[in-house]
Order: sequence, then C-alpha cells, then structure tokens
Amino acid sequence: MLPEWVNRTWLRLKALTKRAQLDRDLEDEVAFHLAMRERKNRADGAYADEARCAARRQFGSATLVKEEARTMRTFYGLETFSKDIRYGLRMLRKNPGFSVIAILTVALGIGASTAIFSVVNSVLLRPLPYEQPERLVQVWESNPQRGDERNVVNPMNFLDWREQNQTFTSMAAVVDGSTTLRMGGEPLEVPAILVSPQFFSMLGVAPLLGRTFTDEDGIRGHDQSVVLSYEFWQQQFGGRADVVNRRLQVDEEPATIVGVMPRGFALPNVKGSMWLPFVIDRSDRFAQEGRYMMVVARLKPGVSLSQAQQDMERVAQRTVEARPNFNTGWTAKVLPMLADATRDVRQPLLVLLSAVGFVLLIACANVANLLLMRGTRRGREIAVRAALGAARGRLVRQLLAESLLLAAAGTLGGLAIARWGLNGLLALIPEAAPLPRMQSIRMDSAVFLFALGLAFCTTVLFGLLPALRLSRVNLHDTLKQGTLRGGVGGNRVLRQTLVVAEIALALVLSVGAGLLLRSFYRLISVDLGFQPEHVVSMHVSVSPVKHPDGPDRARYITSLLEAVRRTPGVQAAGTTHFLPLEDRVSGSCFALGAALPTNDADAPDSQFLVITPGYFEAMGTPLLSGRDFSERDASGVPSAAIVNEAFVKRFLGGGDAVGKQLSVCWTVPNPVQIVGVVANARQTRLKDAPEPTIFLSNMQAPMYGATFVVRAAGDPGQIVRSVEMAIHRVDPEEAISEVQTMMHVFSDSASDARFQVVLLMIFAGIAVALAMIGVYGVVSYSVGQRTQEIGIRMAMGADARAIARMVLREAMLLAGLAVAIGLAGALALTRVMESLLYETKPTDAVTLVASCVAILLVAIGAAMLPARRAMRVDPMVALHYE
Amino acid sequence: MADKKERAAELLQGTLDLLILKSLERGAMHGYGVAEWIHESSQDVLRVEEGALYPALHRLELRGLLSAQWGISDNNRRAKYYALTGAGRKQLAQETEYWRRMSGAMARVLQTA
Repeated sequence: MLPEWVNRTWLRLKALTKRAQLDRDLEDEVAFHLAMRERKNRADGAYADEARCAARRQFGSATLVKEEARTMRTFYGLETFSKDIRYGLRMLRKNPGFSVIAILTVALGIGASTAIFSVVNSVLLRPLPYEQPERLVQVWESNPQRGDERNVVNPMNFLDWREQNQTFTSMAAVVDGSTTLRMGGEPLEVPAILVSPQFFSMLGVAPLLGRTFTDEDGIRGHDQSVVLSYEFWQQQFGGRADVVNRRLQVDEEPATIVGVMPRGFALPNVKGSMWLPFVIDRSDRFAQEGRYMMVVARLKPGVSLSQAQQDMERVAQRTVEARPNFNTGWTAKVLPMLADATRDVRQPLLVLLSAVGFVLLIACANVANLLLMRGTRRGREIAVRAALGAARGRLVRQLLAESLLLAAAGTLGGLAIARWGLNGLLALIPEAAPLPRMQSIRMDSAVFLFALGLAFCTTVLFGLLPALRLSRVNLHDTLKQGTLRGGVGGNRVLRQTLVVAEIALALVLSVGAGLLLRSFYRLISVDLGFQPEHVVSMHVSVSPVKHPDGPDRARYITSLLEAVRRTPGVQAAGTTHFLPLEDRVSGSCFALGAALPTNDADAPDSQFLVITPGYFEAMGTPLLSGRDFSERDASGVPSAAIVNEAFVKRFLGGGDAVGKQLSVCWTVPNPVQIVGVVANARQTRLKDAPEPTIFLSNMQAPMYGATFVVRAAGDPGQIVRSVEMAIHRVDPEEAISEVQTMMHVFSDSASDARFQVVLLMIFAGIAVALAMIGVYGVVSYSVGQRTQEIGIRMAMGADARAIARMVLREAMLLAGLAVAIGLAGALALTRVMESLLYETKPTDAVTLVASCVAILLVAIGAAMLPARRAMRVDPMVALHYE
Repeated sequence: MADKKERAAELLQGTLDLLILKSLERGAMHGYGVAEWIHESSQDVLRVEEGALYPALHRLELRGLLSAQWGISDNNRRAKYYALTGAGRKQLAQETEYWRRMSGAMARVLQTA
C-alpha cells in the first residue's frame, strides 16, 4: 500500500480539479441521509413537516458538515489563502490613504536597506573576481614595536620570501606608479602598475586579447612589454582588436602591447591603465633600499592562514639574520585579500547598514501601529466573523494576508527606491575616496533575495503582532458595546510601546548622525598648517632618459620653477615630492649629530619630504626660525635641512634647532645641517596629527618627479593655463598631470567623512520623520477616542489650554520614556562608531543633549496638531457623538 | 493540515472512528446505515449528532481505511457506500484490542475504588 500521505495528496489533487463534482456528491450524500431519516421519522408516526424538521435537527448544521468535509478534501490553506488575498486587496482599496502611507513607509525602509545592502554585498561579501579568491592573500612587512601592521615591502625581502616560503604556490610584487606614454602625439602621463610576470597567472585571470607576461618579460635586454586595461584600451584605442603587437614608447623606451585584460580587471585598491613587467635584480640599488612594494600571494591547497603566517614569520626571521641593519624589528603579516582590501570601509559600511536596519524597524513599528489603529476600528467586523465561527487561526491568517500584500507592494516600491537610491548613493561616493570594488556595485540575485527576506521579516514584524492581538476578541463586550469605537482592550498600551520604540530608535540614529556631524565639523576646521586658498598644484614627471643624472634633473626643475614664477598672476611657486592630504609621505631613519645611525632598525624615524625653495611660501606655511632653502643649497655644498615644530619638540626637546647637525638615511651627503624650522602642517590625512618631518632640498637630493604648488594672486583656476604654457616653453614635451586646486585636495581629503555624515543624516532624518508620524498617529487616535470625554470636560468648564495640556501630556510621557531608553541605547551602540569619529567621544555631551532636545521638540510638534483639534472640540457635537 | 482543526469533538473522534469501522465490519453501507447501526447497537446510549458522521467518514476515506463507491440504495436512490479496506480492517483489530484492554483496566480500577 502507498504511504498514507501519497494517497491523501492524490485525493486532494483530484479534489482540486474536480471541485464542482465533489461538492455535488457531498450535497447528494447529505440529501440522501436527510431523506432516509425523514422517511424513518414518518414511519415512526410523525407528520410530514415535523419529520423533516426532526431530520434536520438530528443531523445538525449541514453547512458546517459540508464546510468541514470540503476543507478536508482540498488544499484548504491554498484556497483560503487566495480568498484572503482577494479580501485583503478589497480592504486595501477601501482605505487608499492608509494603504498608500503603509506601502510608502515599508517601501522607504526596504528601499534604503536594500540600497545599502547592495553596497555591502558588492564590497564586503561578494568573492573577488579571481580563481579561488579565498586562497589569495596579501603579505605585508610589519613592525609591531612601531604599531605598524601593514607596511609595504622591501624588494630584497620579497625575493627572500618568494624563495624560502613553503606555504604559497606563487607570490607576486605590485608597485603602482605612473609612466609617460608616447604613441606619436603628445606625451601622456598614465597610471601604470609594475607587476611580477606571474601576477596574472597567480590570479587566474586570462587576457581578453593577446597574452599576459611570461618569465622572459621584463628581463633587461628584452623589449618592454605592456598589458592594457580594458578601459584604457577602449578609451585610447577605441577597442580595436589589432592593438596587440602595436609599438609605443614607455618612459622614452620602445615597448610592445602584448595583451588586453577583461573589463574591470584590477586589484581591489590598485587602479591603473596598464601593467608593466617588474623583475627585481638583487644588485639594483633600488632593490636594497626602501620598502615600497605590495605583495600578493596564493596559498597552497590545504594550507591555512595561520600556517602561512607561521611560515612567513620563520622566513622573515631569516631576512633579519641576513640583513640585521635593515630588518631588525620587522616581521611579516599575512592577511586574506578581501578582508585586507575592505579593511577601511568595513566599519563605516556596517554602521550604515545598522542605521538603515533601524530605519526599517521604525518603518515596521509605524505600519504595525497603523494596522492596529485600523484594526481597532474593525473590531466589530472581526468580532462578527468570530461569532459566525471563524477560528482564531483563520482570522490571524486573514489579517496576515493583508500584511503580506502591504509588504509585497512595499517591497516592489522598495526595489524601485533602492535602484534609484543606489544610483544616488554611487554618485555621492566621493571620487577621492572610492570604495574598493566600487565599479562592481549592483543589485544582483543576492540583493533580491535579501529584499525578499526583508519582505518576509517585515510582514512578520508589522503584521503578526497586530494580527495576534486583534484576533483575540472578546465577543461579548465588543458586540454588546455596539459602538463605532468597538475597542479591543490593551491595544493602547501596545501602540504606545511601538511609538516609544520608534522614538528611541530615531534618537539612537540622531545621536549617531550628530556625532558624525560634530566630528566632521572638527575635522574640516582643523589647523592645516598651510593656506589652501589660491593654490593650484600639478605633477610633472622628469624623464629619466632626457635627464639621467640627479643634478641635471634638479637644474631642470629649477628652470621650470623660474618660468612658472615669471608667469603673471603667480605670487609664489615651489615643488614637493608628495602633496599634502593625499595619504602619501616618505619615511626614513636619521640620527642626531654627525654620525650615521649604526643600525637602521634601531634609529629614530622621521617623515621626509623633498622640496624646492618657495614651497613654504607658496603653501603659506610660516617659517618660525632660520631660513628657507635657496639657490645656495646646491650640490657640492654642505647639505641643508628644514624641520618642523613636531620634530623639534620630539627630538630636540623644544630647544633651538637651527645650526644643529643630523645624519639621515637618504641619498644626500651627510651630515646635514638644520637651517630652518617651519610650523606643523598636515601631510598624510586630514585626521592625522603632524608628525616630525625633515625637509630636504631637491637641489641636493633630486627626485624623479615633482609636484608644483603655485600660489595665485586671485583665482588659482585662471592661472593654470599660463603656468602649463610656461612649463611647455621650457620643454614642449613635458607631461603635466593631476592638475587640481589645493581647495579641491582639501575637500577630497574630507570626502569619505562627508559621505558618511550625509548618509547618516539622511537616515536619521527619515527615522525622525517616521517617528513623528507615529507620535501623530497615536495622539490623534487617542484624541479621537476621547472626544466625548473632552466634550464633557469642556461642558464642565475646562478651558481649551487645559485640554491641550492633557493631550500633550501623553506625547510628553511617551517621548520622555523613549528618550530615556534611546539614550541608554545610544550610549551602548555608538561605541562601535568610535573609529569613525575625529576627536569626538561617543559620549559627547553636546551631541547627546542636542539630540534629546530635538527629539522631544519633534514629538511635541507632532502632537500639536491633534492637540489643537482637541481644543476645538464642540461640546454639543461631542456629546451627540454616538 | 485541515484535519488538525481543533474541535471540542476531538475527544470523541477516536471513539467515533472505531464505531464507524465496526459498523462496516460485516459489509459496505451508506452513511445513514452507519448512523442507524450506531443508534441501534448502542441502544441510543451514544447519541452522535448525525452530521458529525460525514466528516469522520471522509477522513477515514482519506486515510485509506475506507473505500467509497456510489451505488443504488434499496429505495432506488443514488447513495455513497463505504467499505473497509485492508488497512481499515487492521486498524479495527488494533483499536478493538486497545479498547478491550483499556475498558478492562478501567473496570478493575473502578471496582477496587
């Protein structure tokens, strides 16, 4: 025999298709029974009418029997479900105002959550687009004593790592920079990335056209090979397939394009227009000095992260033994590639996601409240249904069906809002602080699943509570009362609880937004140490082919500077090798006095910047003592240095610095004499306090490129063209890039903080608005309920203001309670924001107090309207109300 | 899912099911016949609301304990005849055995009290 459920399901399926037939059969069966019983009754001596009535009586409710048999036969749930949905639709159409508000509220909550989740999903969750991305790691040098966990890597150390490790299948070095490209016309300065030849095969990504690098590429004597990015290929070559094998000049040397990578291919935080092969020669000077490479690697199958970490610590120890002067104190750190790439954005994104989660919760509370209020008006309808025999489960199902409809409509609207909001969100993400993997942000199937899940959860959240509450009707009271009010006891408390929760959540969000706002304000009003107004900057890279030796490069820069200074409208000009506020600076060791540090690793560390005379004047950084660099500080004369206040304070005990001698680990003849002291200025990021810095003269320590800073008398944008022309008069082929005003640089440096504050303000705004609607709803409902009472009070002589006070008291009580709860919640939750805040504590009293006051005012404001309505109650009308 | 519906009659349901199975032991019968048999054989002690019989019959049919067929009654009307299936017979034997033991035990308990 078949299992019981198979048989049952079969009969039910049959029932579904032949419902009419089965209904007729049931009808016949009951009729037959009644007829037989009637005949028996008559045979027992009853009259015709009486016999029939008795038969009916003995049978009981035929309707109930049929109903029960029917529900048994069919997929009862399915059928009633569609009935519930149709009924729900009718109810929603009957109350368009209610439906629109509820759907919009849900749509807003789901839309905001889905938009932010799209970002979180694309940036934090989705695997990187490489082969077996979970086995890819970044390896950094780390120096625990200096609290430096992720430092770029020295080339020699990289070579040792690669040769001696036992846990990686391959390891590649990555250095981002720029090159000058020449394809016939004007030279072009493009971002280019140097990579070990095995970089592409390690990631497991095949080229779109041509090939990637082989082991021969990059070996000296071979022709230079170039792999283009899809985007650069489209933009410069119009996507032509015959670009492979094309020849061009890279940094004045002949090169061949060997391949094009697929669209979007890049390391998460390293964008470039092209890749160049990078082969390190141990005998190169630049291989032995400095740390400047990123290292990516692929774990061997079955090797865990901690095994790889142990292995690398072992290898790093060997590099310390091999080169103790350079490596003492340094070890290696292995981090999963995805976590490493998203390290800086994880916290802000999760804060934003929680914020929209709060908005969604508030939206649910609001809709639950609306449902409860409307449900209370429907108390009689529900009671009548219950009296007619509707089981409680049936009522709950029906009420839930309505919620499901609301949620479905809200989710559709929410997806539309999310789509639109996501575009807005992406537009809001600052160019200067792009999110890693930003170009891959989109709404994919995971996002839709998320929205679907939200729809389900919200239905349960805002639908179940009211449904359970409303279906628990007290038939006797509700029907007897027979008034419009037909109240269902206890709803009032539930509604008030929901509103308190809403206000409390809105307060938490407001505190979060307030903290960010305050932190943002502190950040942008920080003392920069320079005057960004009227300053424009541009980068000039000096061709190593045209100017192979250092003094020649330095003279070339000086000649460019002289030309720029002669340009009308230019007040001052200078160069630096790293512009402030772009998170770039050099660091190296030094020693006080004439002797070089004996051991690099133990020597004190300072930031280093190489500048020309006029840099401080152009930037507006005050010279505190001594002098600026001048033409006298050329090669062949004793080296000069300028230090900043932080340096003097940290290393010279705040004493007199000018005239003191230093020895520095830099390509400059030692000793170096301090000739001047300048004020502190922010260099790396806006939020980083100035560090001790040694400035060297570009004449004595020439760099390959220089970033010009030019102070204009008026609008800096207007001198750009003439400054460029002045440079091109010296060398028409000079590639000028990254032209931007210092105000722009300054604004960019605050852009990620601005992005966070703007988003959180928007979410807090929505939250407060929803909470306001919630308060308004509850208070105006209770005014409606108490119309009669208010009428009596007024008839007894209460004045309008007393009535208003009575109404406002409810709002005040709710808001007061909510503020107390919300404050506790804020204190507990805003701690996670600590890392996002600049010189602002999560317990910042001003923010807390201001948020509480604002929320209280908003709550009172929302109650004002119903309070005014209460004041205008006409006693006569109110008393005739029923 | 539907037959899990809570009804006050649930307590009686098991009993009613057993009565129905018993009534069909000697051959197929229509619903009215089952009702009559229960009245007569229990000497009207078990007063079943006759309507309640039908959901029970249908439930047993769905569970595969009864089979049903439309036929012509002795007064020439279309009527639905129920009969025990193999599974129904087995269920009847089990239930009967259970009731015997139960009522025996109850009787002993009540006597000693």
